[in-house]
Amino acid sequence: MAADKKIGAYICKGCGLGERLDCNQLEKIAKTEGKVALAKQHDFLCSQAGVEMIKADISEGVTHVMIGACSRRAKTEAFNFTGVAIARANLREGVIWVRPDTDDARETTQEMANDYIRMSCAEIKFMTQPETSGEQGLIKHILVVGGGITGMTSALEAAKAGYNVSIVEKQAQLGGAAGQLFKRIPVRAPYQHPADTGIAELATAIAASDKIKVYLNATVTRTSGAPGRFSADISQESGSTVTEQFGAIIQASGFKPYDMNQLTEFNPDNADVVDQLGLEALAKAANGAAIKRPSDGKAVQNVLFIQCAGQRSQKPGHLSYCSGHCCSTSIKQAMYFKQYNPDIQTTVLFTDLRTPGAGGENFYRSGQDQCVTFLKGIAESVTPGKTGPKVKFDNLLLNETVEQEFDLVVLATGMVPNSGPNPYLEQELALAKEKKETEKVVVLEQELVFEKSKASILNLDYRQGTDMPQLVHGFTDSHFICFPYETRRTGIYTAGPVRRPMDIGQAMDDATGAALKAIQAIENSALGRAAHPRSGDLSYPKFRKEGCTQCKRCTVECPFGAINEDEQRYPQFNEARCRRCGTCMGACPVRVISFDNYSVDSVGQAIKAVDIPDEFSEKPRILVLACENDAYPALDMAAMNRSEYSAFVRVIPVRCLGSVNTIWLTDALNSGYDGAVLLGCQKGDNYQCHFVKGSEMAHYRMSKIGDTLTQLNLETERVETHEVAITDIQRIPEIINNMAKTIEKIGMSPFKF
Amino acid sequence: MTEVVATNQTIVVVGGGISGMTAALEAAECGKQVILIEKNPSLGGRVSQLYKYFPKLCFPTCGLEINLRRIKANPNISLLTLAEVTAVSGQAGDYSLTVKIAPRYINSNCTACGACADAVESTFPNEFNYNLNQRKGAYLPFNMAYPQRFVIDPRMIGTADADKAKAACKFEAIDLDMQPEELKLKAGAIIWATGWQPYDANKIQPYGYDRFANVITSVELERMMDPQGPTGGKLVRPSDGKEAKDIAFIQCAGSRDRNYLKHCSRICCMASLKQSTYPREKFGAEGKSTIYYIDIRAIDRFEDFYQKVQADTTVNFIKSKVASITLDKATQNPILNGNDLEKSGTGKDMRYSNAHDLVVLAVGMQPSVDFKAMNLGLSVNDEGFIELDPANGGQFAAGCASDALDVNRAVQNATASALRAIQVINQVANAEG
Amino acid sequence: MSSVNTAMVEKYRNNFLKEVSDNVEEGEWVRMCMQCGVCSGSCPLGPHWEHPPQELFMMIRANKREEVLSSTSMWMCTSCYNCMVRCPRELPITHIMHGLAHYAKRLGLAPKEQPTNKFSQMFWNNLVQTGRVNELKLGLALYFMNGFSEGIKMSMKMRPIGQGMFFTGRMAPMEILGGHGVKDQKGFHAMLKKAEELEAARVGAHV
Repeated sequence: MAADKKIGAYICKGCGLGERLDCNQLEKIAKTEGKVALAKQHDFLCSQAGVEMIKADISEGVTHVMIGACSRRAKTEAFNFTGVAIARANLREGVIWVRPDTDDARETTQEMANDYIRMSCAEIKFMTQPETSGEQGLIKHILVVGGGITGMTSALEAAKAGYNVSIVEKQAQLGGAAGQLFKRIPVRAPYQHPADTGIAELATAIAASDKIKVYLNATVTRTSGAPGRFSADISQESGSTVTEQFGAIIQASGFKPYDMNQLTEFNPDNADVVDQLGLEALAKAANGAAIKRPSDGKAVQNVLFIQCAGQRSQKPGHLSYCSGHCCSTSIKQAMYFKQYNPDIQTTVLFTDLRTPGAGGENFYRSGQDQCVTFLKGIAESVTPGKTGPKVKFDNLLLNETVEQEFDLVVLATGMVPNSGPNPYLEQELALAKEKKETEKVVVLEQELVFEKSKASILNLDYRQGTDMPQLVHGFTDSHFICFPYETRRTGIYTAGPVRRPMDIGQAMDDATGAALKAIQAIENSALGRAAHPRSGDLSYPKFRKEGCTQCKRCTVECPFGAINEDEQRYPQFNEARCRRCGTCMGACPVRVISFDNYSVDSVGQAIKAVDIPDEFSEKPRILVLACENDAYPALDMAAMNRSEYSAFVRVIPVRCLGSVNTIWLTDALNSGYDGAVLLGCQKGDNYQCHFVKGSEMAHYRMSKIGDTLTQLNLETERVETHEVAITDIQRIPEIINNMAKTIEKIGMSPFKF
Repeated sequence: MTEVVATNQTIVVVGGGISGMTAALEAAECGKQVILIEKNPSLGGRVSQLYKYFPKLCFPTCGLEINLRRIKANPNISLLTLAEVTAVSGQAGDYSLTVKIAPRYINSNCTACGACADAVESTFPNEFNYNLNQRKGAYLPFNMAYPQRFVIDPRMIGTADADKAKAACKFEAIDLDMQPEELKLKAGAIIWATGWQPYDANKIQPYGYDRFANVITSVELERMMDPQGPTGGKLVRPSDGKEAKDIAFIQCAGSRDRNYLKHCSRICCMASLKQSTYPREKFGAEGKSTIYYIDIRAIDRFEDFYQKVQADTTVNFIKSKVASITLDKATQNPILNGNDLEKSGTGKDMRYSNAHDLVVLAVGMQPSVDFKAMNLGLSVNDEGFIELDPANGGQFAAGCASDALDVNRAVQNATASALRAIQVINQVANAEG
Repeated sequence: MSSVNTAMVEKYRNNFLKEVSDNVEEGEWVRMCMQCGVCSGSCPLGPHWEHPPQELFMMIRANKREEVLSSTSMWMCTSCYNCMVRCPRELPITHIMHGLAHYAKRLGLAPKEQPTNKFSQMFWNNLVQTGRVNELKLGLALYFMNGFSEGIKMSMKMRPIGQGMFFTGRMAPMEILGGHGVKDQKGFHAMLKKAEELEAARVGAHV
């Protein structure tokens, strides 16, 4: 404990704490056991007077504040002191609100409160005010990879906010897929007619901007660093390479159209069978005059649009998902014909017409109004006919199979994301093999062949792969409904159809959102602040190199690929890439990784600070390590509902279950705890853990703790890990009480001292 | 008096639902000063009233907790609750807003100890639960309400109950003489994140929402599923408390319909697909769902979820807009009448009259605020949503004020709007040096 | 088949939707149907028709010209307007049904034995004679529409009503001899002729 640390302990007597607890005893414990410099009680600590009292002490030299009052989630405006470390002993939601107000319960309730004071005093002793590393500076320069409409929009929007941008585009011109279009789906009311693509306008604005630099025929061949200090090599076709420094990166690498040649049932060799981009080319060539079919140049009189071609299908090689824009795109394309000749027959063969939102339904109605024919049906095949492609299809609403010839058939094929190779596929494959999931192994092996054939987009110099992690089907989307820009590579945001299938309107919104996040990453990394979800956190993992055994667990387990290896194969923490979950801290077998305000010691000492009654007391002690985002709030809410749970538990909130180091458990069991419950978030495919892998890692680590227990000659039932949610307000107290019952059944731990 | 500092470099965000919180946070985390204005006593908006999100079936309050923590930790955000913007004047970079603040009758001394609620007897319909149950006249709107501060229902003022509440408070937190306030604020940019409201199901006469107890709305079902909700999480029907094992979902209840809302509300297909998992969640294979639809709009990768639901044998799909609902008086079962279009041309009788335990109307989404009537100089479309138009100056929509959007897209849009507002602010800052 | 019909087939070839749009009263609305089926679910004639409204609309889009125009379904519409008030696209379905029936009739494709069609023809034939409907003749024609013995049976069945009408002065037996008509019957017939000419010219213009 540093000499300049001065701890003040403040105990509140409001909200019934004074009546239900012996606060003098709490104060005494803080002083004698917690060894705090000063301890005070207050009738109403969160009142202005209470807060002023604490502030006065801070100005008198208190550097660490221990507040024994309500939950750390309550009264945050009042207990908001800058420049000091704060620990909160949860006496209200954690003690009196979950215990009955009876004489019988009084003793155990008091013991609970006593322990929370001990724990918080111990915790705060090992906390310091975090300081940033100063590893990165303020570089107001964004790298945008991809010069399609998404990349162009991102660049312009960021430039409008005053940031410099470099666009790296593989092709010889900007515009991407949108540049190949004749017109686009309208994005403004009244949503009735195809609109100008807007590419020319964007290109002009980019050319006119002194903040945007464009590299054409160029790719990114190496990216290293972290937010606030990215360095990227931009290689041009000419052979020259430029290295530039960036604060953040936007990947807008777009999509590739699904290869229609794979749809052999639709006669892809037929010149008069085209995909949507093929029709755009024909429309562009016609430029408002009659659209001519490729085979013989005949002006098209009768065109069929086959929706969901090779999409929404479970057939091998097809896309299982819906590409979202294709219904509106086909309507738009049918209008191309109607606009110069309303008598041209245009038929859209669909199963579900998907034109959502305010604009979408208007556009659908406008298509109908322009006499585009919509048939609910499924195309079986396309074969060469006498006058044009012959289509056999089922009309689902007339229950009949029809064969009809058209001049031209347009296949609405899907979007394939243009993402780089999935960095985690090999790891997933290895895991599936280990678990002997044979079906999954086959699928993953096929995927691996495909992924390996892909060129890297970012060429990240990261320990965990060259490219952005994928969510599903190759898309680099976030897994969180509430946080679409949650990224697993801090400071790098993907936008547009590489992230998720989308139309131009959504892509432009997405591009703007991603530009905001890039700007935010630049501003925050310069200040050493963490990105979402621990936004603003200044702590970052600190590492004691001497103790490191180079086991690499931290570099492998970091969910955000934040940790590289240096030349001597030691882990290299990148502050600005880190999200402060502490998974590395939980992983480290030699416990050399810690944060200033959250460490192996700050939690470990709190665990040890609990008073363990002897074996014959019939007062077991159960440690609960609860995810601070879900399990802990659920416990608070259980308390607000005045649910009761066992007085023998001691709850410690953790940043993520992934940060739980097994030493905490072994220490707890060694020091006489009778049981431990770990409460984390849902893991697996539909994970809810906001640090992606934290809960999963914890479950994995705890699956091995059985051996430790056996070695200690303890029953394996003494340690449980649960997946819970913030809504488990009734279930979590039950879980805790069940553990208390289990202990009652199997008996007290023999490790009491 | 409420005091907030606002300049022409301040961003005012109107609406404290997920879009407003996101816009406020994203801007504040870029270092901008934000005033977040919420009409209700607490933040959270519509999503805090949802049981689960599609397609992950995760819980909205999980994201709410993160956003609340971000707000608590961010000194750049000032929050005004029970506040409504009544007038706006000026232009980009220089707006003046008039904000009315309704009295909460409880000040910042409140510790949320609950003594006032224990002391009072009067109850009022619980708006958080769409009036499906009652709450006390002194209340915390819901467990995660932030600010974590109780509210006195204005209807209780002047009654003996109000005095009882005041007497019960040990912290002098209750001020029954609190008066409405009017604030004038400066702002450089305004983000309208006023969200949506469920379409009034009473207007859809053939479905008898106003006549049949066992016809409810999709938003009400969300509250019923919540273990903290009005039924304690029991999936029971309102008429007799019987378990609702066989549920019908009627799509486009008010949407895609020129008689009601002519736009597609986007979310309802996915919402019903999500809700079709509820009977199964509660009753296993005995739970049954039937979805009556026109088109299933499970767009982009939501399609995966649709396919998953289709594979569930407890869920049935009927392509048909239900024509009318009648009531089987003996069983209180609503009977859905209509024609199954997929039987068209098969020679089978297309007509159905299907009885279900409970009917859920997938009600449409309409903007909460009549922007045209507010006369804000905004470009508003026929559907009532704010368009993205340069003529709007420094005013932007975020989330469902801009279109019928799902949560993910609302947040995406709100993030984009934060940047649009920042662009205005940075221009002001540059001009002012 | 009528020459108008042949001309229409020639003119519209495989675009029946357009033919309906151009020629059927309110037919331009057919394209706006989104196949939700609320019309057929709302129709009180549900058990009786072969093709409910939205199916007719679907058949129009699928170019099932013969089948649609010779269908009995649209003749069954009783103008209850349930479909129209519920249609989410505000299609004037009732009007379209009558429009389709009328168009089919004009083209000579209407089902001859369909009772509504038959009755309508009788009504018309009855009306144009004198310019006034002869209710007695119309009633009897209706009873004897399906043959003599059927007519007798029907007449016997309806006897009490007939007697009631007779005794209350609601039916004049002497009308059987010809009955009353409009004053200027010659002028009336001239007007009808002119109207027919105008209609033929209008249709001709479309053809």
